[in-house]
Amino acid sequence: MIVPLSHILGFSSALFVMGLACVLARRDLIMILIGIEIMLNAVGLALVGASAFWQKVDGQIFVIFLMAMTSAEVAISLAMVVYLRRQKATLDADAYDGMKG
Amino acid sequence: MTWSDLYALLPVLVLIFGSTVLLMAGAWRAAFSTMVAYGILFSLAAAATAVFHTPGSHDVAGFFLIGGYSRFFSILWPIVAALTLTISFRYGADRGFSGGEYAALILFACAGMVLLSSASSLVSLFLGLETFTLALYILIAFHKGSPLGAEAGLKYLVMGGVATGLLAFGIALIFAATGTFHISEVSILDASNGQFHAVTLFGWGMLLAGIGFKISLVPFHLWTPDVYQGAPSPVAGLLATGSKGAVFAALVFLLGNLQLSRTPLANLLWVLSAASMLIGTLCALRQNNLKRMLAYSSVVHMGYLLLALLAGGTSGHTAILFYLVAYAFVNLGAFAVVTVFSSCATEPQSYEDFKGAGYRQPLAAAALLVFVLSLAGIPPTAGFMGKFAIFYAAIETGYTGLALIGILSSLVSLYYYLRPVIIMYMSGDSNTPSFSMMASEKSVLILCLIATLILGVYPGPLFDVITGILP
Repeated sequence: MIVPLSHILGFSSALFVMGLACVLARRDLIMILIGIEIMLNAVGLALVGASAFWQKVDGQIFVIFLMAMTSAEVAISLAMVVYLRRQKATLDADAYDGMKG
Repeated sequence: MTWSDLYALLPVLVLIFGSTVLLMAGAWRAAFSTMVAYGILFSLAAAATAVFHTPGSHDVAGFFLIGGYSRFFSILWPIVAALTLTISFRYGADRGFSGGEYAALILFACAGMVLLSSASSLVSLFLGLETFTLALYILIAFHKGSPLGAEAGLKYLVMGGVATGLLAFGIALIFAATGTFHISEVSILDASNGQFHAVTLFGWGMLLAGIGFKISLVPFHLWTPDVYQGAPSPVAGLLATGSKGAVFAALVFLLGNLQLSRTPLANLLWVLSAASMLIGTLCALRQNNLKRMLAYSSVVHMGYLLLALLAGGTSGHTAILFYLVAYAFVNLGAFAVVTVFSSCATEPQSYEDFKGAGYRQPLAAAALLVFVLSLAGIPPTAGFMGKFAIFYAAIETGYTGLALIGILSSLVSLYYYLRPVIIMYMSGDSNTPSFSMMASEKSVLILCLIATLILGVYPGPLFDVITGILP
């Protein structure tokens, strides 16, 4: 491996933290979902790097599973976005505060 | 994948086959009750398959370990799914749920729970968890006419997405440090100093945080009351019992062969358990909504289960499994009571709505009394035996402080559990129309009542079964 594992892990951790920050800081629902996607892609990067380091395909197989799972999740979350938009005509996460306590 | 692998996974295959058939058949607009009835049939068929098929101990492609332990949960979760479907007949028909999708999603979620309970690799653990989480995203927002349902679905979706990210990143870090996904290999400590590598430890921390979201441990519990309140009652019942129980079944296997007390993870779990018991109790005290109260009570119960997990060993793990069975019947019963009181348009949740309900519906009110007594841990109910086993295991292994917190919080819990029941027997307004309970709802209530009382009076046989199947 030309790139050391520590660099890959460092880069994917940075990507993960950026995704998490996006989820926490943005109030637009679409941006929150993009943040979650970035987090999951950081996971994929870490897995591929680790897989190359250990010379094992297990990590790459998990990445394929992860991609399939992510696409299912995106399908559900975008359907949810359309549904919420019809209910309240806004995608601001702060508008959905009907329950408290 | 060989024939023997497929044979070992037979109960799951029955569930997935049934779910696919129902999804297809739903396209022909069959009546809600017909589809739900077929859903119940398929889940009971899966449970019966698990009872009668004996593949022995079998490792499926290094992903799933099929044996007594997984067989136990392949019987329990389909029964929970069947009970959930049975209480939905009137509730779903009144709200215009489409039967094919509803029954198919519940069966699919159940398949995910069974897979999670038999996972022997971090990959299959992740996939099983996601299988039922994805189905629950839809089920929580299933009632199209309810704004609260949409909000609950949104909150579960965002929280669930973050939890998935944390869990997956934790698994990736563990893989990067150890080079394997197999649970029995990742939990081996570094031989040189009897500790984990720093990256592994960080991975375990993130994995536990992700799992903490799914089973709503404090401080990851914020979604729980809102989702319980907004979700349809039968779905909330499944969420409270099956999804959390399946995660605990996987946790027992995951942390079972790890020497927890030698790692810093034990301290982390100690704090999570104490915080869940204390903060869950404090928040439950000020609730005036039955479903929100049940949500905070589930936070407290997850704290008890975590205490048993910390105690570990045979006695701790036996206590967890017994508690999961007892908790499944008791909590499903409590959500069945909420379902019974729901009318066409509304779902009564506030304590005010239940005034005088004890005289209108004596059976449902009496059942709720038994269920909350069991949740509070009063003999002769199943909850008492479960709590006794947990606190016994905890004191035996030296977690006296946590056990004291647990006993204290279950004493305080009597106050918030009994409040709705007392309100039920206060005189209410007489203009609330009385109604007759459906036979299906009555049978679920009676079944849960019998299970609660029998497990409380005569728990021996179940304890024997559990001791025999522990991994």
